[in-house]
Amino acid sequence: MMNLTMRGRCWKFGDNVGIDGDMMPLEFALKRETNPAVLGPYLMTGIDPDFPKKVKPGDIIVGGKRFAQGNPHIQGLIGISAHGLGLVVESIQRGSYRNAINAGVPFLPNCQGVSAQVETGDEIEVNFATGVLINHTRGTQFQYQPLAASQLEIITAGGWRAQLEARVTAMRVNDLRPSPP
Amino acid sequence: MGQTIAEKIFSRACGRPVKEGDIIYPEPDLVTTHDWYVVNFDKVLQELGIERLHAPHKLLISTDHEPVATSPLAAQRQRQVREIVRKYGIEHFYDVGRGGHGHVFPMEKGFVRPGMLVIAYDIHVTNYGALGCMGIPVVTEISEVLACGNVWLKVPHTVRINLVGQLGPGITIRDVAQKMISLIDVDAADYAAFEIGGPGLASVDFSGRQVLCNTPIEIGAKTAFIEPDQQTLDYLQTRTSEPIELIKSDPDARFHTVIEIDLGLVEPQVAVPPTPDKVVGVSQLVGKKIDHAFLGSCAAPGISDLAMAARILKGKKIHESVRFFVTPSTYEVMSEATVLGYIQILVDAGASITAPGCGVCAGGKIGTMADGEVSINTGTRNDFGRLGAMNSEIYLASAATVAASALVGAITDPRPYLID
Repeated sequence: MMNLTMRGRCWKFGDNVGIDGDMMPLEFALKRETNPAVLGPYLMTGIDPDFPKKVKPGDIIVGGKRFAQGNPHIQGLIGISAHGLGLVVESIQRGSYRNAINAGVPFLPNCQGVSAQVETGDEIEVNFATGVLINHTRGTQFQYQPLAASQLEIITAGGWRAQLEARVTAMRVNDLRPSPP
Repeated sequence: MGQTIAEKIFSRACGRPVKEGDIIYPEPDLVTTHDWYVVNFDKVLQELGIERLHAPHKLLISTDHEPVATSPLAAQRQRQVREIVRKYGIEHFYDVGRGGHGHVFPMEKGFVRPGMLVIAYDIHVTNYGALGCMGIPVVTEISEVLACGNVWLKVPHTVRINLVGQLGPGITIRDVAQKMISLIDVDAADYAAFEIGGPGLASVDFSGRQVLCNTPIEIGAKTAFIEPDQQTLDYLQTRTSEPIELIKSDPDARFHTVIEIDLGLVEPQVAVPPTPDKVVGVSQLVGKKIDHAFLGSCAAPGISDLAMAARILKGKKIHESVRFFVTPSTYEVMSEATVLGYIQILVDAGASITAPGCGVCAGGKIGTMADGEVSINTGTRNDFGRLGAMNSEIYLASAATVAASALVGAITDPRPYLID
């Protein structure tokens, strides 16, 4: 099971980060590429071409309002999980909210004002189960609303597909399938 | 605290009271998908080792995206769809020549009633909101619904739309719907249920109600539905024998936002590329040459849309440089339009009538656009490349504006053709 606390460097990106172009080249969405190993090296390269080389697992992307906006393609979110990163945003559009869960990205979806409290390079720690964010560089701490337990379960399972496999297995074990008509 | 319509429908589907923001696993009354996602969901189910659907009797499949196969590959896919339908014992399968557009004909055939919950693959299932039904789109996760019976959803906040006033001469509900989504704050619309009511609703016909429920999806709404009324009862009277409840929000229900929309708009509205909410008055575009026009899709689904085009084109010929495709949404609509003489008028004017379904709007499989061409049409979206060449341009407008523009060969204000 994934640890829902992460500690690492903050990478701050501001408002209106787009899914296509900013987070991931559009061509991967059009090709329906979902392999993390393919997508990882392109994460956020529309904004910072060296980003994939600079980040380490446990680092945390901090987005502003309407993070991952646009046509809700999942590729940019898979790119985040490919690097083992966490995500903290002021707001996120519904399609990307679902995609972040489905891609198994630990995130806090509703952190009003967080952009003013952190800077790129700060060492921050986030507990995605409780919603507590600690900025160790500045000695500050904030409380945000975490995801629901059932959503965190999908994320800790590794995303939608892994969770669905587990759900189907459990259904078989518990014989919860409906009887045939 | 009272409940909104969305909270009431989800509470019933969960068997317990739920409220805005709750994460829930509701049991849908109906599940729908179309011809372009059947092979895909079957592949996922096979990988999971699922041999039997959770509720095959609740699944409705429509061949509407590519009813007339345009390649051997498409014909092969249709054959696979038929095999999959047989394998799982899906009784509600509407193949080529049967129902038509899957966001429309299930209402004609009594599958859709007020207060129902429908989960679908394809975002414009919100058309069912025209009968006070809550259509919720999910995408790849439809496989989970088919295997397990449900998938997580968040109970949405509600944006309440109150319609007031009356349509001006030559103005259509499509114009109002396009203006509406350009006015609403995207942050308020995001993951919202649009509940549409108010004193102006009574004057909006069945097609117009579908259009009002269709467009909010383009600005991020989760679902949209009207507050069902006497017109809903009248429409369903001959179509279902099931009991019908006119579901309403409680007087003390909490709405996130309440917006008044005046039907008495000043002029027809046109959405410019590349998003449906980039809307301007038609006067800003009058005279822009077009090559391509299309009347159809779930955003122009009704007999009234064809009636408007027929009224404008009666006894006339469309411009020689324009190709004009007309797709009646369903076989019922096509049949009615034939009886009423609209099809004759459109054919005589030079329109190409295609098989019911999504028509050109489903990615331009038919009636594709070439490099640099300009289209005005009643489709749902106008992304670059949606109907063919990446550098073609798509303008979205009402059936009236599309028909008048096809006649003139350039974007045209339809009002002079509609005012006696």
